[in-house]
Amino acid sequence: MELHVEGLSHAYGPLTVLDDINLAIRPGQILCLVGPSGCGKSTLLRMIGGLEQPDGGQVLQLSPPPTESLNPLTFIFQDFALLPWRSVAGNVALALEHHDLSAGERDGIIADVLARTRLSDFADVLPRQLSGGMKQRVAIARALAVRPAVMLMDEPLSALDAQTRELLLDDLVGLWTRTPFTAVYVTHNLDEAVRLGHSIAILSRRPGRVREVLDLDMPLEGRSLSDPKLAKARDRLWESMREEAQTADRELADV
Amino acid sequence: MTIITRRTALAGLSATATLPIIGAPAFGQTKTKTTVGALRFTSHAASFVAKERGYFDEAGLDVDFAFFQAAQPMAVAVASGDADFAVTAISGGLVSLAQKGATKVIAGALREEPGIDGQKILASDAAFQAGVKAPKDLSGKSWAITQAGSSFHYMGSKIAMAEGIEMEFRPLQKVGAIIGAMKSGQVDGWSIVPHIAKPLAGGGAVHIIGNVSDYLPDYQVTTVFTSKETAEQDEAKSRAFLSAFAKGAADFNAALVDKTAGDDAAEDMVKLVHKYVYTDRPYEKAKPSIVNGAMRISTDLNKASVKDQLNWFSSEGLVDGDTSMGVVVDERYL
Amino acid sequence: MSDSDFAKPVTYRGGGFKPVPVAWIGAAFLIALVIIAEIGTRTGIISALTLPRPSAVLETFAELYSSGLLWKHLFPSLSRLAVGAFLGAAVGIAVGVAIGLFSIARSALVPLVAAIFPIPKIALLPLFVIWFGIGEGSKYALIAFGTFTPTVVATYGAVDAVDRGLIRMAQSFNVPWWGIVRKIVLPGALPGILSGLRVSLAIAIILLVAAEMLGATYGIGAYILEAGSLYDLERLFAGVTILSLLGIVVSWAIGRLERRLLAWRG
Repeated sequence: MELHVEGLSHAYGPLTVLDDINLAIRPGQILCLVGPSGCGKSTLLRMIGGLEQPDGGQVLQLSPPPTESLNPLTFIFQDFALLPWRSVAGNVALALEHHDLSAGERDGIIADVLARTRLSDFADVLPRQLSGGMKQRVAIARALAVRPAVMLMDEPLSALDAQTRELLLDDLVGLWTRTPFTAVYVTHNLDEAVRLGHSIAILSRRPGRVREVLDLDMPLEGRSLSDPKLAKARDRLWESMREEAQTADRELADV
Repeated sequence: MTIITRRTALAGLSATATLPIIGAPAFGQTKTKTTVGALRFTSHAASFVAKERGYFDEAGLDVDFAFFQAAQPMAVAVASGDADFAVTAISGGLVSLAQKGATKVIAGALREEPGIDGQKILASDAAFQAGVKAPKDLSGKSWAITQAGSSFHYMGSKIAMAEGIEMEFRPLQKVGAIIGAMKSGQVDGWSIVPHIAKPLAGGGAVHIIGNVSDYLPDYQVTTVFTSKETAEQDEAKSRAFLSAFAKGAADFNAALVDKTAGDDAAEDMVKLVHKYVYTDRPYEKAKPSIVNGAMRISTDLNKASVKDQLNWFSSEGLVDGDTSMGVVVDERYL
Repeated sequence: MSDSDFAKPVTYRGGGFKPVPVAWIGAAFLIALVIIAEIGTRTGIISALTLPRPSAVLETFAELYSSGLLWKHLFPSLSRLAVGAFLGAAVGIAVGVAIGLFSIARSALVPLVAAIFPIPKIALLPLFVIWFGIGEGSKYALIAFGTFTPTVVATYGAVDAVDRGLIRMAQSFNVPWWGIVRKIVLPGALPGILSGLRVSLAIAIILLVAAEMLGATYGIGAYILEAGSLYDLERLFAGVTILSLLGIVVSWAIGRLERRLLAWRG
């Protein structure tokens, strides 16, 4: 499914956070949104997913969502957002319970997504018993269960340590390679952006504007930071962001 | 070594009761400082008269009043030494305190007397409409009492015994709660001093269906009591208090009970009492209540009535152990 | 840097400030107090007016039990407690959740609850007698009313504290409104509601005595009040001990409930 962000603006009171954002989210591709902290990238993602209303502009859905999709716009959150009182399988089930599915169908979907995220052995485990990486895999399984048309990922790896992040990054690449999906991936981590992004949109510091969109025409699988082409792209991104990040850092976080 | 003082223990006992408001102490006299516990009722007038007319001063006592909201905490205050003398009905609590060696009754105070308007037997309007026109009609009905072993319990029980009927006793803790329950017909019968009974009956909320004195002639309603220590070791002080108290009582009786002192004296007496009682009401409104509430106050103790009350506590199982006269009353003072 | 003549272990200075419960000390302390009271009252150091003899209290308790009066007093009290606390807690939770969810309920009821909370419920007893009668009705009402306010406050606090991230997550999966309330808000608020219930039920026990002030012949509260008015310290302490035990039982029961319902907290 293709989405277009058109002239989107938003302000919190007198503070403009997003200013005339235009973006194309192309089917089967991952669009990374990077930018200094506080540039409004998470707000933008929530607007794309219909969790927040922009003051101006709109997000256009260019085609009807595929019929098999239960929840076309599906989020993955930075803090996992798992219900602590439900088991792994129960958390996945939450996304399915209000859909018209038989118990058998539902159990089938749960078993399938847990297998795809290698969580089958942990179906009955409570979230508190899981590591951060495992928790995020549960959240990914839950997202996959509703067969999303577009995945909206809000810094999904930020709460994890470096090693776990690396492993999960590989998992995401693997998932996409097996079945390409459409996604918007918000991050402040440029390594993640160049590893996962088919295109990378750089947002400027407040008020957030699209500074440039970089297309990376390389297959996701086998991307490595030791590849000079990727390293170069990363450096270019950093050059573009550096000044913004420095200024943003000195601003009072008085929002 | 006393690990816990009596005072703290008793303070705990009376924790639900309202704290006494103790007047500012006076300094610099050779007179014996004395604290008298009192309720703001006409029945406590003898002390007020003795204070106002200087009888306490003449007796060498420098008296301060400690005012209470209920008789129960006042008895505890005497036991704990916070008050030296007080006047209250002979309740189960008072007997129990006497048994524990805390208090002694040293004289009578308020009493029923044939021919003098005394405590009234009341029926709620609902009960009255349902046919309760006389005390005997209260058979199977409910009778309001403050607490088990209170004077209301005693009166109700004696009335029931005399009529050969059974009543259900409802403890309601406070006179105010009883009045509310009587007005709304939640309880059927009650007995109370005339200055409360008459205005209630006048309003039509309750009906007077008899006199307590018909059942308990010469009923010793309240008594003067003090701590056992004061009674036994400070006889001079106790006697001084009683003599002043008796003078106050005599003035009161002459002015408002026997009415032998003339209208002016009656007027003066009402004014004096009004300094302490119904202070929140204007004089004109307070006067009828004070006049209606006048019952004989006398330091003579009706031993027969006291004996009957003590026997009743014992037979009802309200108080265990020895309830003989000598335990409760210091008979040297009679 | 090393000076072998001076070598000595570093002084430990990190201890203290970490009280831990020692299992037997609580019981031992209590027993010691009782023994001191017993010796004191037996020797006469503590007068009979100050404190009853613990053994006499135990005797009174045994008498109460063997005469069957214990159940005669306990049963009406327990049923008043059960009915009153259930009504108060149920309505309190419902109102608390409504305040937590709806702007109108919040605006209308929060000031009202704040106004009702500090009213000593005992003061309203005469009014309750007029409204609900002198029988069980006013007793249920008093206990229910006293349990209601702290439950409301605890509940809407607990609903407010439910992780908004979880609610947003559910919205992102199109979970319907009622599903969010049932599957996220209520379970998320449960820990707060249960700890509020701990306080509410203790208040219910406190109010039991007040509730039995009016027109109750049987009941632990009536028993204590009667003992108090007769200065019968043995009965007073026996009654108070029953209330304490009741408090311990209720607290234990909620602890069990927490362990069952909140096992996910670990």
